[in-house]
Amino acid sequence: EDAVEESNVSAELIAHRKRLVDEWNAWRVRCRRDIADEKGGKGKRPEHVGGEEAKEVIE
Amino acid sequence: NRPILLQGHERSLTQIKFNAEGDLLFSCSKDHIMNVWFSHNGERLGTYDGHNGTVWTIDIDSQSRFLVSGSADNQLRLWNVSNGKCLYVWEFPTAVKRVAFSDDDEKVVCITEQRMGHQGAIRVFRLNRDGDGTDQSLEPEYMFHPVGSKATVCAFTYTPNVILTGHESGKVALFDVTSGTEILNNERAHMDSVTDLQLSGDRTYFVTSSKDKTARLHDTKTLRVLKTYSTETPLNSAALAPNKPYVLLGGGQEAMQVTTTSARQGKFETRFWHMVFEEEVGRVKGHFGPVNTIAVHPAGTCFASGSEDGFVRVHHFEESYFRGKPYGDLEIDD
Repeated sequence: EDAVEESNVSAELIAHRKRLVDEWNAWRVRCRRDIADEKGGKGKRPEHVGGEEAKEVIE
Repeated sequence: NRPILLQGHERSLTQIKFNAEGDLLFSCSKDHIMNVWFSHNGERLGTYDGHNGTVWTIDIDSQSRFLVSGSADNQLRLWNVSNGKCLYVWEFPTAVKRVAFSDDDEKVVCITEQRMGHQGAIRVFRLNRDGDGTDQSLEPEYMFHPVGSKATVCAFTYTPNVILTGHESGKVALFDVTSGTEILNNERAHMDSVTDLQLSGDRTYFVTSSKDKTARLHDTKTLRVLKTYSTETPLNSAALAPNKPYVLLGGGQEAMQVTTTSARQGKFETRFWHMVFEEEVGRVKGHFGPVNTIAVHPAGTCFASGSEDGFVRVHHFEESYFRGKPYGDLEIDD
Protein backbone atom coordinates (compact mmCIF):
# COMPACT_ATOMS: atom_id res chain seq x y z
CA GLU A 1 0.00 0.00 0.00
CA ASP A 2 2.81 2.35 0.99
CA ALA A 3 4.58 1.53 -2.23
CA VAL A 4 1.43 2.26 -4.23
CA GLU A 5 1.02 5.59 -2.45
CA GLU A 6 4.67 6.42 -3.03
CA SER A 7 4.41 5.67 -6.70
CA ASN A 8 1.27 7.82 -6.90
CA VAL A 9 3.10 10.69 -5.21
CA SER A 10 6.03 10.40 -7.54
CA ALA A 11 3.74 10.17 -10.55
CA GLU A 12 2.13 13.37 -9.33
CA LEU A 13 5.51 15.00 -8.90
CA ILE A 14 6.63 13.88 -12.35
CA ALA A 15 3.44 15.33 -13.85
CA HIS A 16 4.02 18.56 -11.92
CA ARG A 17 7.57 18.84 -13.21
CA LYS A 18 6.45 18.04 -16.73
CA ARG A 19 3.93 20.89 -16.46
CA LEU A 20 6.61 23.31 -15.19
CA VAL A 21 8.94 22.38 -18.05
CA ASP A 22 6.18 22.75 -20.66
CA GLU A 23 5.30 26.18 -19.23
CA TRP A 24 8.94 27.22 -19.25
CA ASN A 25 9.63 26.01 -22.79
CA ALA A 26 6.49 27.72 -24.11
CA TRP A 27 7.60 30.96 -22.48
CA ARG A 28 11.09 30.61 -24.02
CA VAL A 29 9.52 30.32 -27.47
CA ARG A 30 7.61 33.56 -26.84
CA CYS A 31 10.85 35.27 -25.70
CA ARG A 32 12.66 34.28 -28.89
CA ARG A 33 9.77 35.60 -30.95
CA ASP A 34 9.90 38.93 -29.05
CA ILE A 35 13.62 39.28 -29.73
CA ALA A 36 13.18 38.39 -33.39
CA ASP A 37 10.39 40.97 -33.68
CA GLU A 38 12.48 43.64 -31.99
CA LYS A 39 15.55 42.99 -34.15
CA GLY A 40 13.45 42.45 -37.27
CA GLY A 41 11.86 45.86 -36.73
CA LYS A 42 15.23 47.48 -37.12
CA GLY A 43 16.15 45.54 -40.22
CA LYS A 44 18.62 43.31 -38.43
CA ARG A 45 18.80 39.58 -38.79
CA PRO A 46 17.32 37.84 -35.78
CA GLU A 47 19.88 36.00 -33.66
CA HIS A 48 19.48 33.20 -31.16
CA VAL A 49 16.52 31.86 -33.12
CA GLY A 50 16.56 28.12 -33.66
CA GLY A 51 15.10 26.24 -36.64
CA GLU A 52 11.44 25.74 -35.78
CA GLU A 53 10.89 29.04 -34.00
CA ALA A 54 12.52 30.85 -36.94
CA LYS A 55 9.91 29.35 -39.27
CA GLU A 56 7.11 30.44 -36.98
CA VAL A 57 8.41 34.00 -37.01
CA ILE A 58 8.63 34.09 -40.78
CA GLU A 59 5.05 32.87 -41.12
CA ASN B 1 38.03 17.19 -8.99
CA ARG B 2 39.88 19.69 -6.84
CA PRO B 3 39.03 23.37 -7.10
CA ILE B 4 41.73 25.78 -8.20
CA LEU B 5 42.50 28.33 -5.50
CA LEU B 6 43.41 31.77 -6.83
CA GLN B 7 45.67 33.52 -4.35
CA GLY B 8 46.56 37.07 -5.22
CA HIS B 9 44.16 39.31 -3.35
CA GLU B 10 44.82 40.48 0.17
CA ARG B 11 41.28 41.43 1.01
CA SER B 12 37.75 40.36 0.22
CA LEU B 13 36.55 39.93 -3.34
CA THR B 14 33.83 42.26 -4.58
CA GLN B 15 33.12 41.02 -8.12
CA ILE B 16 34.45 38.40 -10.55
CA LYS B 17 33.69 38.09 -14.26
CA PHE B 18 34.65 35.78 -17.13
CA ASN B 19 35.40 37.24 -20.54
CA ALA B 20 33.19 36.16 -23.48
CA GLU B 21 35.48 33.25 -24.45
CA GLY B 22 35.77 32.15 -20.84
CA ASP B 23 39.55 31.69 -21.00
CA LEU B 24 40.07 34.64 -18.66
CA LEU B 25 38.66 35.42 -15.24
CA PHE B 26 38.77 38.98 -13.90
CA SER B 27 38.56 39.80 -10.21
CA CYS B 28 38.37 42.98 -8.14
CA SER B 29 38.76 43.47 -4.43
CA LYS B 30 38.86 45.71 -1.40
CA ASP B 31 42.67 45.60 -1.75
CA HIS B 32 42.39 48.28 -4.52
CA ILE B 33 43.61 46.05 -7.36
CA MET B 34 42.16 43.89 -10.11
CA ASN B 35 43.64 40.65 -11.35
CA VAL B 36 43.20 38.59 -14.49
CA TRP B 37 43.70 34.82 -14.38
CA PHE B 38 43.71 31.93 -16.83
CA SER B 39 40.53 30.08 -15.97
CA HIS B 40 41.88 26.62 -16.93
CA ASN B 41 44.82 26.57 -14.52
CA GLY B 42 44.41 29.58 -12.24
CA GLU B 43 47.68 31.18 -13.27
CA ARG B 44 47.71 34.95 -12.83
CA LEU B 45 48.18 36.74 -16.13
CA GLY B 46 48.32 40.27 -14.82
CA THR B 47 47.24 43.03 -12.46
CA TYR B 48 45.47 46.32 -13.08
CA ASP B 49 46.90 48.76 -10.59
CA GLY B 50 45.84 52.39 -10.11
CA HIS B 51 42.72 52.71 -8.01
CA ASN B 52 43.07 54.22 -4.55
CA GLY B 53 40.16 52.51 -2.85
CA THR B 54 38.04 49.39 -2.89
CA VAL B 55 37.32 48.32 -6.45
CA TRP B 56 33.62 47.51 -6.24
CA THR B 57 32.89 46.44 -9.77
CA ILE B 58 34.31 45.43 -13.15
CA ASP B 59 33.14 44.46 -16.62
CA ILE B 60 34.88 43.30 -19.79
CA ASP B 61 33.75 43.99 -23.35
CA SER B 62 32.85 41.08 -25.66
CA GLN B 63 36.17 41.37 -27.53
CA SER B 64 38.28 41.25 -24.33
CA ARG B 65 39.80 44.54 -25.45
CA PHE B 66 38.55 46.97 -22.80
CA LEU B 67 37.95 46.60 -19.08
CA VAL B 68 35.98 49.10 -16.99
CA SER B 69 36.21 49.37 -13.23
CA GLY B 70 34.41 51.36 -10.55
CA SER B 71 35.89 52.21 -7.19
CA ALA B 72 35.40 53.77 -3.76
CA ASP B 73 37.97 56.37 -4.89
CA ASN B 74 35.09 57.92 -6.90
CA GLN B 75 36.62 56.89 -10.22
CA LEU B 76 35.44 54.98 -13.24
CA ARG B 77 38.43 53.71 -15.19
CA LEU B 78 38.91 52.27 -18.66
CA TRP B 79 41.77 49.78 -19.11
CA ASN B 80 43.51 47.99 -21.94
CA VAL B 81 42.92 44.33 -21.10
CA SER B 82 46.05 42.92 -22.75
CA ASN B 83 48.74 45.33 -21.48
CA GLY B 84 47.16 46.47 -18.20
CA LYS B 85 47.41 50.18 -19.03
CA CYS B 86 44.80 52.60 -17.73
CA LEU B 87 43.37 54.43 -20.75
CA TYR B 88 40.98 56.93 -19.16
CA VAL B 89 39.74 58.09 -15.77
CA TRP B 90 36.34 59.63 -15.04
CA GLU B 91 35.98 61.35 -11.64
CA PHE B 92 32.72 61.69 -9.70
CA PRO B 93 31.67 63.17 -6.34
CA THR B 94 30.94 59.70 -4.88
CA ALA B 95 31.93 56.04 -5.19
CA VAL B 96 31.17 53.96 -8.27
CA LYS B 97 29.21 50.89 -7.17
CA ARG B 98 28.37 49.12 -10.43
CA VAL B 99 29.48 49.16 -14.06
CA ALA B 100 28.29 47.22 -17.12
CA PHE B 101 28.92 47.19 -20.87
CA SER B 102 26.10 47.21 -23.42
CA ASP B 103 25.89 44.08 -25.61
CA ASP B 104 27.38 45.97 -28.57
CA ASP B 105 30.34 47.19 -26.43
CA GLU B 106 29.54 50.80 -27.42
CA LYS B 107 28.28 51.97 -24.05
CA VAL B 108 29.01 51.70 -20.35
CA VAL B 109 26.47 52.29 -17.61
CA CYS B 110 27.56 53.12 -14.08
CA ILE B 111 25.93 53.76 -10.72
CA THR B 112 27.41 56.31 -8.34
CA GLU B 113 26.50 56.24 -4.71
CA GLN B 114 24.14 58.55 -2.88
CA ARG B 115 26.04 60.40 -0.15
CA MET B 116 25.53 63.52 1.98
CA GLY B 117 24.79 66.32 -0.45
CA HIS B 118 24.98 64.12 -3.53
CA GLN B 119 22.16 62.22 -5.16
CA GLY B 120 22.76 58.74 -6.50
CA ALA B 121 23.24 58.89 -10.26
CA ILE B 122 23.16 56.63 -13.26
CA ARG B 123 25.39 57.67 -16.14
CA VAL B 124 25.78 56.18 -19.59
CA PHE B 125 29.04 56.82 -21.46
CA ARG B 126 29.48 56.23 -25.15
CA LEU B 127 32.94 54.74 -25.64
CA ASN B 128 35.19 55.83 -28.45
CA ARG B 129 36.62 52.51 -29.64
CA ASP B 130 38.80 54.06 -32.35
CA GLY B 131 42.53 54.29 -31.85
CA ASP B 132 44.10 53.21 -28.57
CA GLY B 133 41.06 54.00 -26.42
CA THR B 134 42.55 57.04 -24.66
CA ASP B 135 40.41 59.58 -26.54
CA GLN B 136 37.21 59.47 -24.48
CA SER B 137 34.63 62.10 -23.74
CA LEU B 138 34.55 63.34 -20.17
CA GLU B 139 30.80 63.95 -20.25
CA PRO B 140 28.26 61.16 -20.13
CA GLU B 141 25.86 60.72 -23.02
CA TYR B 142 23.01 60.40 -20.53
CA MET B 143 22.70 61.00 -16.83
CA PHE B 144 19.79 60.86 -14.42
CA HIS B 145 18.96 60.52 -10.75
CA PRO B 146 16.54 57.69 -10.03
CA VAL B 147 14.00 58.92 -7.48
CA GLY B 148 13.21 56.82 -4.44
CA SER B 149 15.34 53.91 -3.34
CA LYS B 150 19.08 53.83 -4.20
CA ALA B 151 20.10 51.74 -7.19
CA THR B 152 22.57 49.01 -6.25
CA VAL B 153 22.98 47.05 -9.50
CA CYS B 154 22.35 47.71 -13.20
CA ALA B 155 22.69 46.19 -16.66
CA PHE B 156 21.68 46.89 -20.26
CA THR B 157 18.71 44.95 -21.65
CA TYR B 158 18.42 43.74 -25.25
CA THR B 159 16.45 46.92 -26.03
CA PRO B 160 18.77 49.85 -26.86
CA ASN B 161 18.90 52.56 -24.17
CA VAL B 162 16.81 50.55 -21.72
CA ILE B 163 18.56 49.44 -18.55
CA LEU B 164 17.60 47.19 -15.69
CA THR B 165 18.22 48.28 -12.11
CA GLY B 166 18.02 46.62 -8.71
CA HIS B 167 17.52 48.77 -5.61
CA GLU B 168 18.16 48.94 -1.88
CA SER B 169 14.42 48.65 -1.19
CA GLY B 170 14.19 45.38 -3.12
CA LYS B 171 12.73 47.09 -6.16
CA VAL B 172 13.64 46.05 -9.69
CA ALA B 173 13.03 48.56 -12.50
CA LEU B 174 13.45 49.33 -16.19
CA PHE B 175 14.71 52.82 -17.11
CA ASP B 176 14.86 54.66 -20.40
CA VAL B 177 18.31 56.24 -20.13
CA THR B 178 17.60 58.90 -22.75
CA SER B 179 14.90 60.51 -20.58
CA GLY B 180 15.76 59.04 -17.18
CA THR B 181 12.18 57.86 -16.79
CA GLU B 182 11.19 54.66 -15.08
CA ILE B 183 9.38 52.58 -17.70
CA LEU B 184 8.29 49.78 -15.41
CA ASN B 185 8.98 48.56 -11.90
CA ASN B 186 8.31 45.73 -9.52
CA GLU B 187 8.42 47.33 -6.06
CA ARG B 188 8.10 43.95 -4.39
CA ALA B 189 10.65 42.00 -6.39
CA HIS B 190 12.54 41.55 -3.09
CA MET B 191 11.92 42.52 0.53
CA ASP B 192 15.47 43.83 1.08
CA SER B 193 18.45 45.16 -0.88
CA VAL B 194 19.20 43.63 -4.28
CA THR B 195 22.85 42.50 -4.22
CA ASP B 196 23.44 41.04 -7.68
CA LEU B 197 21.78 40.90 -11.07
CA GLN B 198 22.91 38.63 -13.92
CA LEU B 199 21.20 38.21 -17.29
CA SER B 200 20.65 35.16 -19.48
CA GLY B 201 22.66 34.95 -22.73
CA ASP B 202 19.86 36.55 -24.78
CA ARG B 203 18.98 38.99 -21.93
CA THR B 204 15.32 37.92 -21.90
CA TYR B 205 15.47 36.87 -18.26
CA PHE B 206 17.67 37.59 -15.28
CA VAL B 207 18.41 36.38 -11.79
CA THR B 208 18.75 38.61 -8.73
CA SER B 209 20.05 37.89 -5.23
CA SER B 210 19.00 39.77 -2.14
CA LYS B 211 19.69 40.32 1.54
CA ASP B 212 16.12 39.00 1.99
CA LYS B 213 17.65 35.47 1.68
CA THR B 214 16.04 34.75 -1.65
CA ALA B 215 17.13 34.80 -5.25
CA ARG B 216 14.59 35.34 -7.98
CA LEU B 217 14.26 34.84 -11.70
CA HIS B 218 12.49 37.63 -13.62
CA ASP B 219 11.12 38.21 -17.10
CA THR B 220 13.09 41.19 -18.49
CA LYS B 221 10.14 42.49 -20.53
CA THR B 222 7.43 42.42 -17.84
CA LEU B 223 9.55 42.24 -14.64
CA ARG B 224 7.26 39.41 -13.56
CA VAL B 225 8.88 37.10 -11.01
CA LEU B 226 9.11 33.69 -12.68
CA LYS B 227 10.83 31.69 -9.95
CA THR B 228 11.92 32.09 -6.33
CA TYR B 229 14.79 30.32 -4.58
CA SER B 230 14.46 30.64 -0.81
CA THR B 231 17.47 30.06 1.44
CA GLU B 232 18.22 30.67 5.13
CA THR B 233 21.03 33.17 4.61
CA PRO B 234 21.44 36.67 3.11
CA LEU B 235 22.55 36.29 -0.50
CA ASN B 236 25.30 38.33 -2.15
CA SER B 237 25.35 36.80 -5.61
CA ALA B 238 23.32 34.76 -8.07
CA ALA B 239 24.45 33.39 -11.44
CA LEU B 240 22.88 31.39 -14.27
CA ALA B 241 24.55 28.23 -15.59
CA PRO B 242 24.55 28.25 -19.42
CA ASN B 243 23.33 24.98 -20.97
CA LYS B 244 22.06 23.67 -17.63
CA PRO B 245 18.84 24.61 -15.81
CA TYR B 246 20.69 25.68 -12.66
CA VAL B 247 21.14 28.89 -10.73
CA LEU B 248 24.12 29.29 -8.41
CA LEU B 249 23.69 31.22 -5.17
CA GLY B 250 26.25 32.57 -2.74
CA GLY B 251 26.11 34.41 0.54
CA GLY B 252 26.36 33.66 4.23
CA GLN B 253 26.71 35.48 7.48
CA GLU B 254 30.11 36.27 8.94
CA ALA B 255 28.93 35.22 12.41
CA MET B 256 28.69 31.63 11.22
CA GLN B 257 32.47 31.58 11.11
CA VAL B 258 32.70 31.52 14.92
CA THR B 259 31.85 27.82 14.91
CA THR B 260 34.18 26.96 12.04
CA THR B 261 37.47 28.66 12.90
CA SER B 262 39.23 25.34 13.48
CA ALA B 263 37.92 23.71 10.32
CA ARG B 264 40.44 22.93 7.62
CA GLN B 265 37.80 23.39 4.99
CA GLY B 266 35.60 26.44 4.94
CA LYS B 267 31.89 26.04 5.47
CA PHE B 268 30.69 28.81 3.18
CA GLU B 269 28.92 27.39 0.19
CA THR B 270 27.81 27.96 -3.35
CA ARG B 271 24.32 26.50 -3.64
CA PHE B 272 22.97 24.97 -6.83
CA TRP B 273 19.23 25.28 -7.43
CA HIS B 274 17.15 23.87 -10.22
CA MET B 275 16.10 26.96 -12.18
CA VAL B 276 12.67 25.68 -13.21
CA PHE B 277 11.67 23.39 -10.31
CA GLU B 278 12.91 25.76 -7.56
CA GLU B 279 14.52 22.86 -5.71
CA GLU B 280 18.04 22.82 -4.27
CA VAL B 281 20.19 20.24 -6.07
CA GLY B 282 23.60 20.57 -4.39
CA ARG B 283 26.17 22.61 -2.50
CA VAL B 284 29.87 23.23 -2.99
CA LYS B 285 31.64 24.40 0.14
CA GLY B 286 35.17 25.61 0.75
CA HIS B 287 35.27 29.32 1.54
CA PHE B 288 36.10 30.64 5.01
CA GLY B 289 33.92 33.70 4.66
CA PRO B 290 30.69 34.72 2.93
CA VAL B 291 30.61 34.22 -0.82
CA ASN B 292 30.41 37.73 -2.29
CA THR B 293 30.41 37.02 -6.01
CA ILE B 294 29.81 34.09 -8.37
CA ALA B 295 30.45 33.80 -12.10
CA VAL B 296 29.83 30.89 -14.46
CA HIS B 297 31.98 30.22 -17.54
CA PRO B 298 30.04 31.32 -20.67
CA ALA B 299 30.16 27.74 -22.00
CA GLY B 300 29.05 26.40 -18.62
CA THR B 301 32.21 24.33 -18.10
CA CYS B 302 33.27 25.78 -14.76
CA PHE B 303 32.25 28.32 -12.15
CA ALA B 304 34.16 30.64 -9.85
CA SER B 305 33.33 32.09 -6.46
CA GLY B 306 34.96 35.08 -4.76
CA SER B 307 34.71 35.45 -1.02
CA GLU B 308 35.12 37.71 1.96
CA ASP B 309 38.08 35.40 2.79
CA GLY B 310 40.15 36.94 -0.05
CA PHE B 311 40.17 33.84 -2.24
CA VAL B 312 38.68 32.94 -5.58
CA ARG B 313 37.88 29.26 -6.10
CA VAL B 314 37.45 27.90 -9.61
CA HIS B 315 35.60 24.60 -9.94
CA HIS B 316 35.74 22.76 -13.25
CA PHE B 317 32.65 20.61 -13.57
CA GLU B 318 33.16 16.87 -13.72
CA GLU B 319 31.87 14.66 -16.51
CA SER B 320 29.01 13.53 -14.26
CA TYR B 321 27.72 17.12 -14.05
CA PHE B 322 27.15 17.23 -17.82
CA ARG B 323 25.65 13.72 -17.98
CA GLY B 324 23.54 14.16 -14.88
CA LYS B 325 19.81 14.62 -15.30
CA PRO B 326 18.57 14.68 -11.73
CA TYR B 327 14.96 15.06 -12.79
CA GLY B 328 14.75 12.69 -15.74
CA ASP B 329 14.77 13.31 -19.46
CA LEU B 330 12.72 16.51 -19.65
CA GLU B 331 14.36 18.89 -22.14
CA ILE B 332 14.56 22.42 -20.78
CA ASP B 333 15.28 25.37 -23.07
CA ASP B 334 18.15 27.58 -22.03
